Amino acid sequence: MINLPVFITRHVLIALLLGGLAGILFVLSLIEFDHLTGSEEFCTGCHSMELVAAPYRKSKHYNPASGVRASCGDCHVSDGVLAATWDHILGGKDLFAQLFGADYDDPVINALHLPEAAFAARRWFKKEDSATCRRCHTLEAINGSRANTLLIHQQEAQDKSCIDCHYNLVHRLVPEERTFKRDRWNRMIEREFDLPTGKADELLQQ
Amino acid sequence: MVYANNYNRSARLLAIATVFWLSAHGIASAEKVKLSPDSWGIEGGKACIDCHEKASPGLTRQWQDSAHAEAGVNCLDCHQANTVEDDAITHEGSVIATIVSPKDCGRCHTLETSETQNSVHSQAVALLDSKIPGLAQQLSGKALISAGCTQCHGSTVEVRGDGTLSADSWPNTGIGRINPDGSRGSCSACHSRHQFSKAQARTPEACSWCHSGADSPDDEIFNRSKHGILFNTHRAEMNLDSDSWVTGSEYIAAPTCVTCHMGESPGVKGSHDVGMREAWSLNGPVSEEQYLVIFDDGERRELPVSQQVPRRGSELSRLDGKAGKVKAVASPKQRRQAMSKVCIECHSKTFTAGFMHQFDNAIKYYNTSFGGPAQAIMQALYDQEVLSKTPFDEPLEFTYWRLWHDHGTRFRHAAAMAAPAQSSWEGIHQVAQAFYGSFLPQLRELVGEERAKSLIDNFTPSPGQTSAAIDSTPTPLVGYGATRP
Repeated sequence: MINLPVFITRHVLIALLLGGLAGILFVLSLIEFDHLTGSEEFCTGCHSMELVAAPYRKSKHYNPASGVRASCGDCHVSDGVLAATWDHILGGKDLFAQLFGADYDDPVINALHLPEAAFAARRWFKKEDSATCRRCHTLEAINGSRANTLLIHQQEAQDKSCIDCHYNLVHRLVPEERTFKRDRWNRMIEREFDLPTGKADELLQQ
Repeated sequence: MVYANNYNRSARLLAIATVFWLSAHGIASAEKVKLSPDSWGIEGGKACIDCHEKASPGLTRQWQDSAHAEAGVNCLDCHQANTVEDDAITHEGSVIATIVSPKDCGRCHTLETSETQNSVHSQAVALLDSKIPGLAQQLSGKALISAGCTQCHGSTVEVRGDGTLSADSWPNTGIGRINPDGSRGSCSACHSRHQFSKAQARTPEACSWCHSGADSPDDEIFNRSKHGILFNTHRAEMNLDSDSWVTGSEYIAAPTCVTCHMGESPGVKGSHDVGMREAWSLNGPVSEEQYLVIFDDGERRELPVSQQVPRRGSELSRLDGKAGKVKAVASPKQRRQAMSKVCIECHSKTFTAGFMHQFDNAIKYYNTSFGGPAQAIMQALYDQEVLSKTPFDEPLEFTYWRLWHDHGTRFRHAAAMAAPAQSSWEGIHQVAQAFYGSFLPQLRELVGEERAKSLIDNFTPSPGQTSAAIDSTPTPLVGYGATRP
């Protein structure tokens, strides 16, 4: 019989066991939670996200020749339970905005707010050093179909992050932040939805 | 001074000044870039090359072979943009624009830019909009506008709100392209990117990119003229790569389009404003001699001599319809003098005058015998509402179009460039057949024998074929109208 310290009573042992099990269950459920909430079905549960997903479904990341489909979370949620959970906690503000913010389900409102969302996403990719891209893509292994693709990725891509060059791959094209012009974007959306000039600015004010 | 006689002294002085300006001093030659080499070779631009050598080796190597590369002008020197520009995009960390407009080229090539900015060439979009709106819509289809019309005339480049260029308006290298920065034209219409070669622009091929086919059959005509034959034979002796390219000194083997229409000859300065030396308009149903009107901001337009010669300081509408203040007017005679000065580098004055006499007579003959009558009859039919206002919906309109446009243009351009087989068999012979063989019979069918006769009597100097003077018996064996075999 092992001599346990006196404070390890039977109750403590039971508590530790249950606590441990609960902990394991908790972590497992976090993994499940992160997995589930990173899925296309979950993300596009909100109509606003369905609008964002439409171009994605026509993209190479949805229909690659290899058949390896990247779902929302594969790109937008970090690796690892803790990081993934943290991303989801931060992402909670999107849910809050969906419920209490502007009417992102409206295609016009959605398109008007899209650039800022894109800029935020790009900043996130940059901060993470495009970690989620590198889940699937290995710099050293990018051969491409042209002879020089490999060379470019070995020489010019040094000290660069994927997102530095590769953006506007999946969602609606949004200019890079420095050359984005709100006024011209608004006019484009107005033309697209047949709205009078100035309506977009009015909608953004609300 | 044909025209100056009719006007006051100041007009005469103005005319003299204009001759002076046209032929010797006013048009500066294509000067070398004056900026110091310290002004180009932006450091950031050097990084572009490493990647573009691999990503787009074709264009990179073209640039490497260019005078630009030799001088150290790199990608960013031309493509660099300001973030506020509509078509500015961020590319690998640099703010650039895809389109390099004449304004961009003008950062260094100031003189060439100002010459092209004011030229009639650069206003080709306005010309397209005003002249033949019916052609694309009624005849060839809208897809032609992007793939055909605007590729030569130039598109109005549309930048979308997301900074991309609309595919209907870009790619486009039309000579009158309206660029996102408001400038007009495209230097690469003649100096193809990314080599921007002088030699290329000096060849007839550079021009025949657009000046070929029914609308402007100059490629075919030049190649069937003595000038073209000489050029094709002696191409290697043309010294096309020379920095300076003066007729008679840097090259003597043959003239190209550039030589006569814009190049430098002794006593005639060159200019990137192509077309200042043309006394006639040769591209309408009826040819007219034409003034060249220069506005106070340097912009130009042609003005037929049938219109009042505008006085200095008076208002006149520009090609795009906006009002402009007239600074100077060059008469057809002055323009002819400038052109003739080029000729005498290789021909005698008598030879030159004789050629111009033949050319002028050919144009006048076409005008009075075919172009003029056909136009007057068509006008009467439109006025009397026999023809609908819609272009290209009646057989007679097609015949008329073939007559003056397809055949008439070829005849007149061929007469201007001395290509005899083109001016006769491909030119006036076709015009005459279209007039007598199709136009008049269709007219009779449309309005009836009697009404047609009155129209023809009214507008045609010699109704029907005047064959009375020809002493021949129609011989079916050798063809009608031939003399005995």
